[in-house]
Amino acid sequence: MNRKNTTLARGIDWPVVYLFIALTLVGVLSIFAVEHREGESVINTLFHFSKTYAQQVKWLGICAILAIIILQVDSKLFTATANLLYVAGIGLLLLVLVAGKDIKGSHSWLVIGGFQFQPAELCKLFTDLALAKYLSGLETNFRRLKSQIIAIAIALIPAFITIFQNETGLALVYFCFFIPMYREGLPGEVLVVAFSLVILVISALLVNKDLLFIILSAIALLVLYLSRRGMARRRVRIILVVLIWGFCSSFVMFAVPFAFKHVLRPYQVTRINVMLGKEINPQAGYNVMQSKIAIGSGGFLGKGYLKGTQTRFDFVPEQSTDFIFCTIGEEFGFFGSLVLLGIYIALLMRIILIAERQRSVFTRVYAYGVASIIFFHMAINIGMEVGLAPVIGIPLPLISYGGSSLMTFTALTFILLRLDADRQMVLR
Amino acid sequence: MEVKKDILWRVYLCFLGMMAFGLFILSRVFIIQDIQGKYWKSMADSLHTRYVTIEAGRGNIYSDNGSMLCTSIPFFNIRMDMGEDGLREKDGRVFLDQVDSLSDCLAAMFMDKSAGQYKKELMGAWNRGDRYFLVKREIPFAEFQKLKEFPLFRLGPDQGGLIAEPVEKRINPFRLLANRTIGLWRENAQNVGLEATYNKDLSGVTGRRLMRRIAGGTFIPVDGYQIDPENGKDIVTNLDVNIQDIAENALYQMVSSNEAQHGTCIVMEVKTGKIRAIANLGRQPDGSYAEDYNYGVGVSAEPGSVFKLALMISLLQDKLVSLQDTVYIANGSWKFGKRTMYDAESHNHGMVTIKQAFEMSSNVGMSKLAYRYYDRDPYKYLHHIHLLRLDTLTGVDLAGEAWPVVKSPKSRTWSATSLPWMSVGYEVQVTPLQILTLYNAVANGGTMMRPYLVSAVTSYGKPVQEFEPRVLIPRICSDTVLAELRGLLEGVVKDPVGTANKVFTGAPYQAAGKTGTALVANGSHGYGEKIYQATFVGYFPADDPVYSCIVVIKNKPHAAKYYGASVAAPVFRQVADRLYALGMQQAPVQGNFRMDSALESKSGSLSREELVLNRLGIPYSAPAFPAPWTNPSPSPTRVVLGPKATPAGMVPNVAGMGLKDALQLLEQDGLEVEVAGTGKVIAQSIPPGDPIAKGSHIRINLD
Repeated sequence: MNRKNTTLARGIDWPVVYLFIALTLVGVLSIFAVEHREGESVINTLFHFSKTYAQQVKWLGICAILAIIILQVDSKLFTATANLLYVAGIGLLLLVLVAGKDIKGSHSWLVIGGFQFQPAELCKLFTDLALAKYLSGLETNFRRLKSQIIAIAIALIPAFITIFQNETGLALVYFCFFIPMYREGLPGEVLVVAFSLVILVISALLVNKDLLFIILSAIALLVLYLSRRGMARRRVRIILVVLIWGFCSSFVMFAVPFAFKHVLRPYQVTRINVMLGKEINPQAGYNVMQSKIAIGSGGFLGKGYLKGTQTRFDFVPEQSTDFIFCTIGEEFGFFGSLVLLGIYIALLMRIILIAERQRSVFTRVYAYGVASIIFFHMAINIGMEVGLAPVIGIPLPLISYGGSSLMTFTALTFILLRLDADRQMVLR
Repeated sequence: MEVKKDILWRVYLCFLGMMAFGLFILSRVFIIQDIQGKYWKSMADSLHTRYVTIEAGRGNIYSDNGSMLCTSIPFFNIRMDMGEDGLREKDGRVFLDQVDSLSDCLAAMFMDKSAGQYKKELMGAWNRGDRYFLVKREIPFAEFQKLKEFPLFRLGPDQGGLIAEPVEKRINPFRLLANRTIGLWRENAQNVGLEATYNKDLSGVTGRRLMRRIAGGTFIPVDGYQIDPENGKDIVTNLDVNIQDIAENALYQMVSSNEAQHGTCIVMEVKTGKIRAIANLGRQPDGSYAEDYNYGVGVSAEPGSVFKLALMISLLQDKLVSLQDTVYIANGSWKFGKRTMYDAESHNHGMVTIKQAFEMSSNVGMSKLAYRYYDRDPYKYLHHIHLLRLDTLTGVDLAGEAWPVVKSPKSRTWSATSLPWMSVGYEVQVTPLQILTLYNAVANGGTMMRPYLVSAVTSYGKPVQEFEPRVLIPRICSDTVLAELRGLLEGVVKDPVGTANKVFTGAPYQAAGKTGTALVANGSHGYGEKIYQATFVGYFPADDPVYSCIVVIKNKPHAAKYYGASVAAPVFRQVADRLYALGMQQAPVQGNFRMDSALESKSGSLSREELVLNRLGIPYSAPAFPAPWTNPSPSPTRVVLGPKATPAGMVPNVAGMGLKDALQLLEQDGLEVEVAGTGKVIAQSIPPGDPIAKGSHIRINLD
């Protein structure tokens, strides 16, 4: 095709662009469904940017310009400035702690000349670049523990700062960088340990801690019993089992209750308890309840576009940002949800495919980072709306209303496309 | 290659992990939508539809000739939800910024508290997080319209925390007139009078309406899912505003000049038992009089001498005496065992005829007769009491009729002197209405009629239930006895010895009746305070009775003037004089018989006007600018609905309006309305356009 030969579009992976556009269109139409009222002039609204869907259209325009600019830039710029950007990003995060503004209880916004944005959103991009930069470094041997610790530190430092901004949800996103690290050779044991910890935390919340202690002790004794043969020779194993048992027990008995009492905020504890079904709190469970009602009343084929009663009549809070999936679930039903998830999975698969065809480690790590971020956002957001995950306010990529989020995902995606266009080069 | 395998494995794991989670979410969506779908759908339906009740308008109460005695006017209770999200936004900045200006507006409108006081109360409620804070009770519609534009309130019900509850306030256009009989209708309190008796008819049936939630959180009605409220029916009473006015005035003059504790005056139509007037006045702590209790129906008390009629009926029916027989009345005192019976007025008569003894109301004479003829078998006398229904309710259609107390030898308190004392109206308790019912029967040729207040229940002017006069006892005695009784009652007024012989001097008609002066026990003070209850009950004209009437006045302790003849009888005479002057037989005009020309209609509410014209299919032209009130003017082909200006702060022009509309308009502006006549408003005492002074009186004349 002709356009593929223009300088701008040379080497661009068009399927990603199509999927990207499809998602943003779904987003605008969903926000429109939430905000539009019968009898209103759409043209007028668009002209005056008086509703959020009009704002979203405006942001799409800005993002289009951003995308074109990114595609014009030399790929080497990203490798060259990655570390610098990361440091600048950390600086911004710290600046927010000092000069940030509270919006809806989160101290994570910066206001510059009437324009407000969340540095934590942008910092995901910088962290991804920095991680890619570090892992692709010639001196980096990711098999070594030191490198692994440095990589993990790069990923998690912004997360800790973000927690202090009261944005636990955004902070959690940084944990998705374990996926690219795993791809690059982080020992599976780390993931196993991390996964075990998650299970421990959940079971500590669900099961009485004394009972859990008995279960853990029983498992430890069972393991010792099964490996009783040659016990004398394998002293190390005994010590290991006892150590793990000791750690797990104290983790369950003391660390989790302590975290719940002193680290997490009361509302977060409530949300987690509601999600786990331990607590019925109509206030905290209200959002999820309304969200489930909206999705559940959609049925298999949905009520039809602009015909959803729950989402259009302001039952579901944060309708156009955090709970946008309800609109699709209600108006297009299971079928619509399937198609939406299909688009996401297709986009993710395509990005992983792109990652695996790279010569340069930088682009591959970066691509995995992009996929992980999108995946994590999507999984937590939709999971939250169907009651699988606790309510943490992170947007649905490319669909939720919000300029910061949209621009971050645009930058993430189009930098990847830019890097991919130069896949014959080895970037460091 | 080990490394390549490892990497591939890792890639697949990432791949599969994402796919798995995607499928996990998808299955969850499937569960919610298809397996639990019905549950969530019903939840959705219950959320965005709801039933609201539509209150039915309460019916009016009319007098016999169509004057409105009681009607309802809409008012609003204003409350505030301090927990409203809109108010709490930005740490309550919205509320705190505007609370001052809101307080100013409230103080300026109601002028009952200073802006500072209002602010203090609002802040108090704010700090408590009160979700149902009462700002102001019962404000009229016009004020409510303005209040909606106040700071905070103008943010709308979902943002500004404004809660407006419509309430109906009952208004009696004739104020004091028969107030207690019309009754009170209050929420959360005991209702009295006709309002209570006919509550079921008056209150109507509340409707229900299915509401659907639409964008923006507002609810709109769903077509076809509405049960209209059935407005309350109207009550047409037998009360006649003119007679009521006469009775109330006559009674008022006496009780106030004599500083009586309370008094009642009931006027009944002889042939039918219709109660034409029922006035009740009780002395208030400040010395004024008000309709504070229904003394005529709600209290049983010792009736005194008026009860002697029952003894006479008994003796004459049993043919034990003739009126010419004599009885020794011993100068007015006689000992029954240890107790002495005195006549109310001291005299020096010895032997008198029974007729004279009755006419001069000799307690000694009457009680001696009762003792002589019934002491051996008191039940013989009590049987007559029973036949005359003096031991039961009259069945008047008014809530709270008091039961009479009649003793029998089986009663614990029955003693040897019970019978003689009972025969002269002590040791027995009945209501004034009961005594009147008995005397009315004598006037009505022996037929006892059930007293009643309501002649019809109507709906939109059409009767749905009519109440006919009802006979309680076809004949209370034989014709000969009846003639003798009437002779006795006329004698009381006519004969020189009669207790009331001077009262009716010069009256153009002959009256008949009986006085009573009973010493009243006052709780722990016993009979020592010398409180006398003065009674006169009778009928007029004696030869062809039209009205019967009872006046009962309970005097203050040690009153100088306390006899039935000097306290109660003059009230009776005044009522009788005025009624006689009114033409006696003149049938009250029922409603407004004058035919309106086809296209003439009253001024009033535009929406109702249009409704009527639409229903009747009369062509009309609507005003160019919709206004709540309209001034219709007939043209040859159609009714032209011109707008009726009701400028704020000025007395509106109510000329041409019906009473209900005029009342609504004026009362809502805070004016106290006085009404005269029926029909359309033809004059108003404060000219339209004058500035409104809250609480000032305006008189409107209707024709």
